[in-house]
Amino acid sequence: MKVLDKVESRERCAEAGWFAYDFLLDQEIDPEFIRGLKPLGSWVFLSMLAKPFFKVESEHFMIKGLLGEKHFRVAVHHEYEEELSRIERLIEQI
Amino acid sequence: MIYLNNAATTYPKPQCVLDAHAAALSNPPSGQFRSSGSFLKEDIFTQCRNHLGELLGIHETERIFFSSGATDSFNKILLGLDLQNCPVVTSVTEHNSILRPLYNHTQLLDEQISLVGCDTDGKISLEELEEIFIKNSEKNTNRGICIINHCSNVTGMVQDLDAIGILCRKYGIQFIVDVSQSGGCIPVDADRSGIDILIMTGHKSLYGVQGTGAYYVRSGIRLKPIMYGGTGLDSTKLKYKADEYEYEVGTQNAPGIAALSSGVEYILMRGVEKIAEKERLLMKRIYDRLSEMKEIRIFGSYETNHGPVMSFQVKGLNCSDVAYILETGYGISVRTGLHCAPLIHRAIGSGADGTVRVSVSDLTSMDEIEQFLKAMEEITASVSGNTRGEEVL
Repeated sequence: MKVLDKVESRERCAEAGWFAYDFLLDQEIDPEFIRGLKPLGSWVFLSMLAKPFFKVESEHFMIKGLLGEKHFRVAVHHEYEEELSRIERLIEQI
Repeated sequence: MIYLNNAATTYPKPQCVLDAHAAALSNPPSGQFRSSGSFLKEDIFTQCRNHLGELLGIHETERIFFSSGATDSFNKILLGLDLQNCPVVTSVTEHNSILRPLYNHTQLLDEQISLVGCDTDGKISLEELEEIFIKNSEKNTNRGICIINHCSNVTGMVQDLDAIGILCRKYGIQFIVDVSQSGGCIPVDADRSGIDILIMTGHKSLYGVQGTGAYYVRSGIRLKPIMYGGTGLDSTKLKYKADEYEYEVGTQNAPGIAALSSGVEYILMRGVEKIAEKERLLMKRIYDRLSEMKEIRIFGSYETNHGPVMSFQVKGLNCSDVAYILETGYGISVRTGLHCAPLIHRAIGSGADGTVRVSVSDLTSMDEIEQFLKAMEEITASVSGNTRGEEVL
């Protein structure tokens, strides 16, 4: 899986110092990709939704997205923005 | 897309608003008392003031002044009043458009500001408010000001302006009301409620465009303008005396005011009571169905909270997750977080994550509400059946 671009969310009124980025991918998110995120933190997968939702949460960042989409969202605390590069590297290894 | 974020900005707008805005841009600009041949027609500024006066129960319509929104309105009020030794009373239900100007005012000490609390539905306590008034009147000769948000943008709780107005008059306090969330969807009668200053924004339930708003200042209230400039009534006058201030300076947002005027005209034609009735019906359906979903915690109730906005949380999901799933998975736009009203969340017990907020307008359909509720059914069912997730993968 390749990360084509990282787009900073332009949504205003962010709470408590968190920033969000949308990661754009070269292919659709599949089960293998979602499973591959498990080592990053606490993992949630809502399989019963029409578009199944996944989320991985650690102390300093959160990843969420939907199965079958070509993008997902990363929220990171502004003091830990370097985590974005680590997430990108891990994504590209899946 | 299904848009249920009308408490932020109403969408769509009535067709007449779109037409009025387009016409104001495509026709020659409205002159402000300088164009020839227009003296027989009521100008758009006067027309908008008259519409707002009719809607909000203000007979001194010439004392309604245009602004860019509630934040702009309140800053002009707060920076123009003499607040030296002035006790300021407000509530935890206020929006940051009120709280931030107060807490960042260079002449206002934090000790001058008192906050009245609210219950878990968002209703402020009149007893607590009166206690604060009594305490302040014992300590100060200056009676002070009281700023109250008519309708909470978080819980939809509507405060009793008549009762608060009586208390303010009893203690000689200037009564300032923010009707940004209620103007156009809940009846307001500023004169009857004894309101001295009214703050509003144009882009919510008044159906105007973003960047428009207004404020009303009862005659006799001493308010120093914070801006001076062009477009005054007498070009030869350079220095103003206190009793001849002008509050609208610079070229006005005529297309925005034309749209606002048309939005308010739409409300007057429809009838604010009819709009409130329709929105209550939509909200009843939301409260009824969400309260049947055991994973959902609602802040307030249909019986107590009468505004077209409500808040909830889903057990097992962050509020931002719910909004993400709704928007990305179902094409439904709601809002999550603190909603720029940071103090109310401790009082209602929603915590740092805030709430998921759903808000309707007169142009929201029951079909849209049903689609939202169907999506919520799927989301809550999915949360309760989450243990299957790993098996499926």
